[in-house]
Parts: sequence; structure tokens; C-alpha cells
Amino acid sequence: MLLIGENIHIIAKQVSDAVDKQDKKALQQMAKEQADVGVDYVDLNVGPARKNPEIMGWLAETIQEVVECPLALDSTNPLAVEAGLKVAKWPPLINSASGKGESKERMLPLAAQYKCEVILSVLTDAGIPSDAEARAESIMETAAYANELGIENERLWIDPILLPVSVAQQGVVACMEFTQMLPDLLPGVKSTIGLSNISNGAPEEVRGILNRTYMVMLERYGMHSAIVDAFDAELRDLARGKLPGIVEVIHKVMDGEDVDPASLPPKERDYAKTTKVLMGEILYSHTWLET
Amino acid sequence: MTFKAPVESYKGKVAEVTIGKGKRAVTIGGENVLALNQAFDEGAFPHPPKIALEVWDMEPQNWAPWVLEPYKDVAADPAAWAKRCEELGADLVYFYLISADPNEKDTPPEQAAELVKQVYEAISIPMIVYTTGNENKDPAVLAKVAEALSGENLLLGPVIKENFEPIANAAKEHGHCVVSQAPVDINLQKELNVKLSRILSGDRIVLDPLASALGYGIEYCFSVMERTKHVGIQFQDAMMQMPVIANFGGEVWKNKEPKEREELGIAWEEVTAINYLLAGANIMVMRHPEVFKIVKGMIT
Repeated sequence: MLLIGENIHIIAKQVSDAVDKQDKKALQQMAKEQADVGVDYVDLNVGPARKNPEIMGWLAETIQEVVECPLALDSTNPLAVEAGLKVAKWPPLINSASGKGESKERMLPLAAQYKCEVILSVLTDAGIPSDAEARAESIMETAAYANELGIENERLWIDPILLPVSVAQQGVVACMEFTQMLPDLLPGVKSTIGLSNISNGAPEEVRGILNRTYMVMLERYGMHSAIVDAFDAELRDLARGKLPGIVEVIHKVMDGEDVDPASLPPKERDYAKTTKVLMGEILYSHTWLET
Repeated sequence: MTFKAPVESYKGKVAEVTIGKGKRAVTIGGENVLALNQAFDEGAFPHPPKIALEVWDMEPQNWAPWVLEPYKDVAADPAAWAKRCEELGADLVYFYLISADPNEKDTPPEQAAELVKQVYEAISIPMIVYTTGNENKDPAVLAKVAEALSGENLLLGPVIKENFEPIANAAKEHGHCVVSQAPVDINLQKELNVKLSRILSGDRIVLDPLASALGYGIEYCFSVMERTKHVGIQFQDAMMQMPVIANFGGEVWKNKEPKEREELGIAWEEVTAINYLLAGANIMVMRHPEVFKIVKGMIT
């Protein structure tokens, strides 16, 4: 599983302050820390950057001065993304395009023009599709459009759009179903997901286990990469195959094997409980680890 | 070939909750089938839904004339009003301590509790006592009520995530049941139930997922109530197996349309009631005696 580090995100105060002040050092430090722990891409999220789309170019150059790692250029504004594309040293990833009219017209052509890879989400002008089938229908249409522009499947990273488990538990199951369907729908495509979204709204101290469990579950279904909290060491260990015992517990629960969480050591028990919730077998509540 | 209807059977069962004691006890819940499906599926619905009629602790100001009319002569006397509800055949009295709210008369807890006692002594059916959902004031009021009627097994509510602890502890100490209320959100409802269950057992908790009126978001409330039953009965989630209260009388009658025409208002409350019966409500709180009669007739 490839990891895209999400930690340079304009919503984080530390990041927006550094960007405002053009504090190169602070931003370079954040990028270095992510590269040091081995992320495969550093995501640069500048938000819509309506007033100053050029900031992405400056930010990309700043980061590239200190790390040798490809960048994910993250903005809804095609002008900002293009500013990054112009200066990217290593083959970048556009984050992201979608089936929305404006995105098809302005973002996707950038991937064609700069011959780069692009995250393509199932989003359309009608919103987020409701289930796996609706996601399939939407992505088939958008991918066909991308193909027509000359962007072949191998350059598309499909994003099923994940919503928090605390508000849309069925969507969590739908994203897994969709991930399983993907190789048949669009042979050759890659895939990615905004992993931390699953735990948005959950108490801070239990966010990590939701993120990690879901990552392992998705990986099993063929997910190619995830946009993650790069500083979650256990998550990185799981992604690098260093915790086979945990993975085994998660897989057993996924297979419907009779796993009694109470019989497991505390850590495995929590993973087993979390897997059951993310499979949709148990109704989510913030207290799921306590029952 | 003859048609054979599929018969479902489920492993989960709603907890039986008894409100009141001795002769004035009623029991709700206990079903292991979905609402009104006992005729088709394998299982039982041992306690048909119960109906509570609403009584206020102060004279209502904005009620439509036709809904106030049947209670007009007793509207300023909660004990007499409650007695009227009993005469009308209500299974329970729902006593609303609206005056205790700081935005109303801010009635002190002791005074509110004394009034609850008077009303309780005037009737011989069990009682639900509701405050307005004021996070800070409710615990003091309900604790006093719990103490004043210690051992009488009232249904006290609502408890919300901000104040469940003191109220549940008072209920535990004095032998009452409580209403666990979450705002049309099944996940938050479960979380509150989990926390509440550490203080009170499942046979002392009733769920209030909020019940809005027809035309005012009833779809959401219906779905949450229905899913609560699915999760409890079909998926055997013990934290979602408490019976459910649908408190919609006031929700119906506060709206413009029911206030404009009596027949319309009656139909409005009636259709709202039928919806919540189908969603799985175990207790319904209603207002108009005419609607009460119609719906009671449907159940029995």
C-alpha cells in the first residue's frame, strides 16, 4: 500500500500560518518529517487558493528544495494545481479531479497536458453516489471521459469518497464493495482514499484505530494507496507488513470466522471490534471499543 | 402452485420495561418481531403499544381552541387535568414540567416535585414526567421528583448526553425508569445507551429518538426509529433493545395547519400516530382525545 502523507494541509493552523508568512523552514520541516518516515508522496493541500493560486508553485518548490519525494498537488482550483505542475521535479499526482462538470473541463485536461497521474473521484454534479453500484456507474462515465482525453486507465487513481463512519456507516461498507469491483470495472486503474475521513468526528484518542483497521481491510480488497496521517507509526507498520498478527485478526473477522473479541489480547481485541463495526455488523457509536 | 409467504424470525428481543407499580403498572416492549408483524412472522408482540395523554404543569397559552376545549375547565389544575385523561382511558399520564424551565416560570425543583406528587396521588394510572431538556436545570428538578415519589417507578426524562449521570443516579436510588434522548441520531443514541447502561439496566430505560410531525421531517424520525428496531431485533444489539417512546402530540399541534382547522389537525395527529406505530413505537404521547380514541381503537 502506497502512502500519501496528508499532513501539509491548509486547514491545519500551523500550515496556514506558515503559508501566510511564507515561512519556508516550517513547511520544509513538515515535509522532511514525512519523507523521513517513508511516505511515498507528500500531499500539498492549499485549499481552493482563489486569491493566490500561485502559492502552490511556491510551496512545491519550497518542499522540493529539501525532500526527494513526489508531490500530490491538492486543490480544487485548476490554476493552483497547474502552478504546481509547472515546477514539479518528480512525476506528480493531481489531487484531484472528479465527474463534476467544472473538474472535467478544467482539471482533467491538465493531467492530459502534463502527462501525469491523477486522482479521480466518484463525485459528480449530483453529489456523492449513495452506494457501491452508484459509485460504479459514476466512475465508469468519468473514466471514459478521461480516456477520451488521452488519459489511460493506468494513470487514474480512483477515489470512492469516504464519509465518516459516525455519520454514514453504510458508506464505509459501500466503499469496500466498490474497491472490490474496481478491477473488473476499469482494468489497470489504481486507487486511493482519504483514509482519515473515516474517523472524522470520532473522539481523538480512537481515531487512529479506525484509520488503521480500515486501511488493512481496503488493502485486502486491492486498494493501491491511501492518503494518511504520516505520523501514525502503527499505521505505517501495518502498511509495511510489520504487524502480521493484527492483519490476521482483521482478516479473520472479515471472513466471518467466529472470532470472540473477549478471548484476544487487548490490542487484537480492539482491532477485532473495530473490524466488526467497519464491516457494518455492529452499529457504530463512539463507545464501540467499550462494549 | 400456491403462494407461501416467507416467515421471518429474529433472535433479538426488545427489553420489557414496567412503569408504575402494583395495580397501576403497565409493561411495554418484549417483542421479537418488527412492529405489527406478529401476524406474519414468527414471534410475539406481547405488549401492544400504550398511549399517554399530555398534561401541563401550567395553563397552555398557544394551544388550538379545539385541542384545549376538552381540557379547558381543568387546564389550570394539573391534578384535575390528569384525572380527565384517566377518565378518557389513557394508559399513562405524560406530565410536562414546562414551567420549571428557566425560560418559562423557572419553578423551583421542590415546588415542581410537590406538584408531581399531587398529580400522582389524584390518579391511579402510571406517570411519565418530562422536563424541557434543559441541560442544567433538569437534573435538579428530576432528582427532586425522583425523591418525592421514591419507589413509585415513574418514567423520568429526558436524559441527554450532557446530564444523564445525575438523573440516572437519582432514578437508580429511588427506583424509577428514565428516557434516553438523542437528537434523531442512531449513533449518538447508542453511545448514550452504552453510558446509561453502566448505571441502569436495560429494563429501566426507554428511548426517545425524537418524533417530529407529519410534514416536518417525519421521514428522518421514522427511519431512525425503524432502524433502532432493526438493530435491536434483527441484529441483536443489546444497546438498542430498549422500548421506544414517540412524543409527537406537541410537535403536531404547534404547527400552523393543525391550528387552522380542527378536522385537519385531528387527521394530522392521527396519521403521525400511525406512522410511529409502524416504525415501532411502544409508547405514544398524544394530545387530542378524539385522535386518542381512534388510535386506541386501532391498537386494541
